[in-house]
Amino acid sequence: MSLLKEFSKGLWKENAVFKLMLGMCPVLAVTTSAENGLGMGLATTFVLVCSNSVVALLRKLIPAGVRIPAFIVIIASFVTVVQLAMEAWVYDLYQALGIFIPLIVVNCLILGRAEAFASKNPLIPALADGLGMGLGFTLGLFILGTLREFFGSGAILGVNLLGSSYHPMLLMILPPGAFITLGLLLALIKRVTARS
Amino acid sequence: MKEMTRLLLALTLIAVCAGFILSQVERATREPIKEQRRLQMLKALSAVLPPFDNSPDTDKVEIPDGLDKKGQPRMKTFYRARQGGELKGVAFKVIAPDGYSGNIEVMVGVDPQDLINGIAIVSHAETPGLGSKINEPAFKDQFKGKGLDNVDWRVKKDGGEFDQITGATISPRAVVGAVSKGLEFYRQHRAELTTDLGANQ
Repeated sequence: MSLLKEFSKGLWKENAVFKLMLGMCPVLAVTTSAENGLGMGLATTFVLVCSNSVVALLRKLIPAGVRIPAFIVIIASFVTVVQLAMEAWVYDLYQALGIFIPLIVVNCLILGRAEAFASKNPLIPALADGLGMGLGFTLGLFILGTLREFFGSGAILGVNLLGSSYHPMLLMILPPGAFITLGLLLALIKRVTARS
Repeated sequence: MKEMTRLLLALTLIAVCAGFILSQVERATREPIKEQRRLQMLKALSAVLPPFDNSPDTDKVEIPDGLDKKGQPRMKTFYRARQGGELKGVAFKVIAPDGYSGNIEVMVGVDPQDLINGIAIVSHAETPGLGSKINEPAFKDQFKGKGLDNVDWRVKKDGGEFDQITGATISPRAVVGAVSKGLEFYRQHRAELTTDLGANQ
């Protein structure tokens, strides 16, 4: 049952976006639309699962002294794989995410999980941890992207919901909108969890 | 010293493995990526050119346009569309360096009368929902039928005739400026583009 726990903790209890506040750069930068958030989240999840697995497999072989550079090399390799694969097979998404794909390398969520979890646990739990954390991160990006797209352009996933009479709150899709939305969401979550 | 060697060995081994895997992935994706870029190019060309039956992405003429930072001649590529061998239009890419964020790449297609047949935004990083509206038909369609001499190449805010976008003047201004510069360059070099087509003209 603990395997399920390793998986589910990332979804909410230790959610990377709402609880751990890790990897804020992509969280704030790419969530201008639900689709971008989802794409970035899934790309990050893929890298996280792969890097967690490899780090867990090699954990006894990597000397403690060079573990951080080793992790970075592993993570950077997977990011490059993702970038090449996206350019080859999902070109539209590749264009939308642009420069943020290489930045997955420096997402501290991924290095954080490699260091805090995968380097101390066997393959299967590390896999569950990576998947849960990644999907939790995706959820956070998707919620943020949906809210910003809805208020900022009156649409969700590109489908216009509010009609042309709606005057979009442009601020929401500009950088300050990311901070405002995240701040309000965090406040709401704190409020709800403090009561229960 | 022994510990040092162990560290070096481990990290080197990991880096070598990573390098090997990456070279394999690169090899596997090289062709699909090339194909994607070609399709993208062809899509942009079909959007801006009149109907054609050749492949304009290979029927191209390169004309030097100044020097780049390294002193090498910078080449501008012109793609020619033909039907039954007759020249139906020419397309070229212009780059607007003065967008709101990053370069805006625009494909411009002109007909044999030197009027614009259509434009397409190839790539941009403008603010979604604001500057990104340069990619909507409402904005792009204004360019159809425009030439260097029949319109004032400025946005309305600057006294010209092109509609800017509410909340975003910088992106349309950049596009309008880049397209008009491209048209001027095209006019200067128009003769060079058709010299080898003498038999068909």
